[in-house]
Amino acid sequence: MAANFWASSHYKQLLDQEDVEAVHSPDKEKGITLEEFKLVKMHMANYIMRLAQVVKVRQRVIATAVTYMRRVYTRKSLSEYDPRLVAPTCLYLASKAEESTVQARPLVFYIKKQCPDEKYRFEIKDILEMEMKILEALDYYLVVYHPYRPLTLFLQDAGLTDMTQLAWGLVNDTYKMDLILVHPPYMIALACIYIGSVLKEKDTTSWFEELRVDMNVVKNISMEILDFYDNNKGILEDRVNAALNKLALKQ
Amino acid sequence: MPEFDQFLSKKVADRYLKREVLGEGTYGVVYKAIDTKSGQTVAIKKIRLGKHSDGVNFTALREIKILKELKDPNIIELIDAFPHKGNLHLVFEFMESDLEAVIRDRNIVLSPADVKSYLQMTLKGLAYCHKKWVLHRDMKPNNLLIGADGQLKLADFGLARLFGSPDRKFTHQVFARWYRAPELLFGTKQYGAGVDVWAAACIFAELLLRRPLLQGSSDIDQLGKIFATFGTPKPSQWPDMIYLPDYVEYQYVSAPPLRSLFPMASDDALDLLSKMFTYDPKSRITVQQALEHRYFSSIPAPTKPSSLPRPARKGESLNSKPSDFNPHEGPVVLSPPRKSRRVTVQRDGLEGNVHHTEKVDDHFYDARQVAGENMGRSENVPMSVDFSIFGSKPLPRPTLNSADRSHLKRKLDLEFIQPERE
Repeated sequence: MAANFWASSHYKQLLDQEDVEAVHSPDKEKGITLEEFKLVKMHMANYIMRLAQVVKVRQRVIATAVTYMRRVYTRKSLSEYDPRLVAPTCLYLASKAEESTVQARPLVFYIKKQCPDEKYRFEIKDILEMEMKILEALDYYLVVYHPYRPLTLFLQDAGLTDMTQLAWGLVNDTYKMDLILVHPPYMIALACIYIGSVLKEKDTTSWFEELRVDMNVVKNISMEILDFYDNNKGILEDRVNAALNKLALKQ
Repeated sequence: MPEFDQFLSKKVADRYLKREVLGEGTYGVVYKAIDTKSGQTVAIKKIRLGKHSDGVNFTALREIKILKELKDPNIIELIDAFPHKGNLHLVFEFMESDLEAVIRDRNIVLSPADVKSYLQMTLKGLAYCHKKWVLHRDMKPNNLLIGADGQLKLADFGLARLFGSPDRKFTHQVFARWYRAPELLFGTKQYGAGVDVWAAACIFAELLLRRPLLQGSSDIDQLGKIFATFGTPKPSQWPDMIYLPDYVEYQYVSAPPLRSLFPMASDDALDLLSKMFTYDPKSRITVQQALEHRYFSSIPAPTKPSSLPRPARKGESLNSKPSDFNPHEGPVVLSPPRKSRRVTVQRDGLEGNVHHTEKVDDHFYDARQVAGENMGRSENVPMSVDFSIFGSKPLPRPTLNSADRSHLKRKLDLEFIQPERE
């Protein structure tokens, strides 16, 4: 599926960093900062990954679900669209769009089992209603490209297949950030390879040169990823809850 | 009556004026409407919500996902989508007719240039899909819609899929049976664009014959029909065949000359047709290559879409008998009107061991009919390949050699349970 990214809706929908990082006014009024906005999205990405593990879907479904969630919040506020409902609904929608359907009933069951916090609990009808709203917020664009496929191809081409696990893990972590909304997936893959090769002290300079991609962009993405790791050491539960409480969404 | 008035003037989503119901689609009602924003006539599909609290219908979601990525003169346009009263509505451009109506309308004469034009538009739409890594997987004449301007557009992407990962496994339960490629009938789960090419070839043949070429009544029978028409494939022709999951050996029969099946077709048409009907999907012509075939550059040039013959309005053509011979019509194969497969008296002697299988097949076919499977042409009795043109002797039908009966039954049972959609 990697072949036609340039003609895809995904490419046309790539955004500038500023657009992704704009806190919507209803949220601003409640005192949500950009830092908190990012934090909530990261927390919800983690929530999607945790849920995905119990309902057993492919990595691709997780990645698509997180992308949907992030796209929704470029257009809608946290106040209007409760992230605790948006996150599982995105997983539900992504599972259908990626042809490995998860039924709503077990999903709701696992949410209840996973989350002791009442505020995360929703009924099937809530998920189904939100599904429709998410479809609208996404403007019905459902095809998403991911770095995984180009990553595998690049690693083969560079003869770095021993780095697959590391690079794959890095790519997984990029979904805790908004990179997928801003950069073409193959550039994210290259940044992960770049970080990996630096960590493992492999010389990839000539391989990157031959690719003729803008190395400044690759390096900038890599820096962003490394900054992200620096900024998010330790667990942030309290900060996330503080932000969610500000929104006062649900009793 | 007041209900009716209300219905006529109903405005949906502040934009669409609802008109009459056009029909029942695969997953909901389709009605005609006027787009007040553009003045354009549109068709709106109202998607029924799933019964078992499974949200937006899976097939509908697939169609939305694919169509949002496709924009081409030969692909149906998804103009808009919106929720209304809890149901999802899809807005398509309104299309007057479809290719099945054209093929079946006996008042229409299709000249070789008309056939070429319809095939070219079909292949152009398909080429665009394949360029975008989309397999249609449900090519058949009534999914090829025809607009007021004569343009043919591919529609019904409810079975369509993105492809491109070579290791990805797909279901082989796609396409209406008569349009299913042999590799699918042998149960392959790894297939590519070739399945759409085979279906397009069936449509090409149907345009020439004015009836479906390969009307099998079960998967096994479908393969039989294919082999009777094009000869049983030899391993040299299709090396991977014997490794396919549901492969069964068929008795060898040789192919009658293609010319005898399509007496009126040009040499170029037959050459292209045979390349599209190639057994080995790896050597089958691609859609792009087909479009570059000399059939499309040789005379006659394809008819301009706006000059193509149109079918009569719905209902008018129902009275004309499909198989009546009319000397003024285009290329029609002369055949006895309906040759029921059930008349097997003569064949019994010829091919003893196939008899049982056939009975199973017939039973199966009936059950499918009762189950209300959309066979496309419900009034047609299943017809075997037309043998009359080879002279009085019927061609020996290929028979099953190594058919493990329990295996066959298991397969058929499976198909009972599993509807083709989804």
